[in-house]
Amino acid sequence: MSDSIDAGLTDGVPNGTIAKRTHYAPPWADVSIIGIAGSSGSGKSTLSQAIVNKLNLPWVVILSIDSFYKSLDKEASKRAFRNEYDFDSPYAIDFDVLVERLRDLKAGKRAEIPVYSFEKHARLEKTTAIYSPHVLILEGIFALYDPRVLDLLDMKIFCEADADTCLSRRLLRDVRDRGRDIEGIIKQWFAFVKPNFEKYVDPQRKVADIIVPRGVENHVAMSMVGQFIEQKLLEKSIHHRTELTRLELEAKSEPLSDKVFVLEQTSQLRGMNTIIRDIDTSSEDFIFYFDRFTVKLIEQALNNIPFTPTTIITPQGYSYAGLRPQGDVSAVIVLRGGAALETGLKRVIPDCKTGRVLIQSNIRTGEPELHFLVLPKDIGKHEAVLLLDAQMSSGGSALMAVQVLVDHGVKPERIVLATYSAGQLGLHRLTKVFPDITVVVGNMVADVEERWVETRYFRC
Amino acid sequence: MSQIDKIKAAPTRPVGPDYRSESQKPAATVSADVGIETVTVLPQTPQLIALLSIIRDKATDRGDFIFYSNRIIRLLVEEGLNHLPTTEHTVTTPVGRPYDGLSFQGKICGVSIMRAGEAMEQGLRDCCRSVRIGKILIQRDEETAQPKLFYDKLPEDIADRWVLLLDPMFATGGSAIMAVEVLISRGVPEERILFLNLIASPEGIKNFAAKFPKLRVVTAFVDQGLDEKNYIIPGLGDFGDRYYTR
Repeated sequence: MSDSIDAGLTDGVPNGTIAKRTHYAPPWADVSIIGIAGSSGSGKSTLSQAIVNKLNLPWVVILSIDSFYKSLDKEASKRAFRNEYDFDSPYAIDFDVLVERLRDLKAGKRAEIPVYSFEKHARLEKTTAIYSPHVLILEGIFALYDPRVLDLLDMKIFCEADADTCLSRRLLRDVRDRGRDIEGIIKQWFAFVKPNFEKYVDPQRKVADIIVPRGVENHVAMSMVGQFIEQKLLEKSIHHRTELTRLELEAKSEPLSDKVFVLEQTSQLRGMNTIIRDIDTSSEDFIFYFDRFTVKLIEQALNNIPFTPTTIITPQGYSYAGLRPQGDVSAVIVLRGGAALETGLKRVIPDCKTGRVLIQSNIRTGEPELHFLVLPKDIGKHEAVLLLDAQMSSGGSALMAVQVLVDHGVKPERIVLATYSAGQLGLHRLTKVFPDITVVVGNMVADVEERWVETRYFRC
Repeated sequence: MSQIDKIKAAPTRPVGPDYRSESQKPAATVSADVGIETVTVLPQTPQLIALLSIIRDKATDRGDFIFYSNRIIRLLVEEGLNHLPTTEHTVTTPVGRPYDGLSFQGKICGVSIMRAGEAMEQGLRDCCRSVRIGKILIQRDEETAQPKLFYDKLPEDIADRWVLLLDPMFATGGSAIMAVEVLISRGVPEERILFLNLIASPEGIKNFAAKFPKLRVVTAFVDQGLDEKNYIIPGLGDFGDRYYTR
């Protein structure tokens, strides 16, 4: 890892909490980037696509350099429509933005990728977000061009193909996907593509680690690249698990943070727990008492959101110095367990904006993995975010969920994690890394407890 | 008796969790301190104060009034149920571990003082499905200005049950005292009655504690006092009106 990447990581830690917090690196914190360059029509996208299909994992993502075409001004745009604008020169690409986005991704942050319209020759308003890939494939004729990009790449591939193959592929693609006519395409080929290839594209083969002729038909090259990526993913997984173990060791033998609340074990609460935990309880009773328990948990969690004084007037005209919530409160459900808390949540805040994160533990390794993510757009502006999960055992998925919120602009002190049960170890681990979050726990249980609540609640 | 006279009017102080410094906690008027063993006031959390602020506010519409008062009522019911007897009961959890828990003892029923008390039935049912609920109608006698029993319908075996008596506003306590007298006349011992209300006046609490020293009162807030029309100050107006008709 180069120095510049380390610097990027540090920048990602919000508001100076770095001194007291223990660092946690999610598996996407150091994404491996594979650059695939080559002439237009040499089969870069096909190769990238084939690699992604072969691995079939949500954390291998393709980023096309085409997204980073510069928006054209009026005059250039006119030339582009006349097929007289040079899209095949490196000057057509906004490498500054590309480098910035790649650095964000390298730092584990969310990156907004521009969307370029070939019909309008302009960048669209909307962007596509890329977040948390473990491996990113950067594909484009100039993927190996800019030295700043080269610094960020873990593997450099150059695709090679015959010139006539390239031209025919380009013809087919531009007519089908980019709304061009044949005459224009051929005009562009000889005016720009061919000379640019010789001048800028071809020299990239000098910096490539491997040169792949014949694209996807080249099975040897395909499996080499596949093995390399699999190896990278394995390294990341091992690193992540080691990281979690390290936090576990660090966390032992220390008192719990004062921002961890365990519900008072009143007789009603213990009575409810007795019904909820009894394996012989009927599903109807289980769900009823679990929902009732959740309401208590959410009410308690809401005591940790920020309030502001307000004076109100009663119907009799008396004034009362009360409080009101300072701003929006939203919730994020850690699927699937957290969804068991949703009924209770909606009883307390019926119209609560709710995001969802699917984090699953890998069956073989036990490593938590982020599979799916939808958050309210303005979540970074909310005064408080309730993070809901049914159980917290090792704390691995909670850590990941909090990291996801932090990466999306939620300040740790605004996060209130509420869970039906938690173990000492998981709580230590989590609050050591994120000392500013508040945790509200229904019950303290043994350090390692498998997830049984969701199975009971959803009955499968 | 001397203890009962010591109830201080509702004070204003910073409210919030312990990890916040005093300056980080917003100030609000919290419940008066009653210091009577049989009176339980809900913890004065910022969330409770915020809920009370909404239902006290004359600008709050009926839908919100109903929703937010229900949330407080659920908290009251949950707290009230803590005073019921339990026995030790160990179960096996789905992960095969034993859990040393409790099981609820004794049968319960609700009794609402019509009509405002009926507004609390939903909150009770949210916590106790298929609970029996009796009703008592007490109104002021036009001639004597005293509360008078007009109607009651109570579970037949009420003498064997714990009774959660429901009335949201505990002002002078006139009708609550009469309701308790009805329950006692049906054989319910004083110590098996829990009186749940949202807002109480110090006067009402004093009267009640003097008359029924063993009866438990659970309230969300003890207010400043009563005005000349016996409305609670600052109170929240006529609960039944705001819940049902206004």
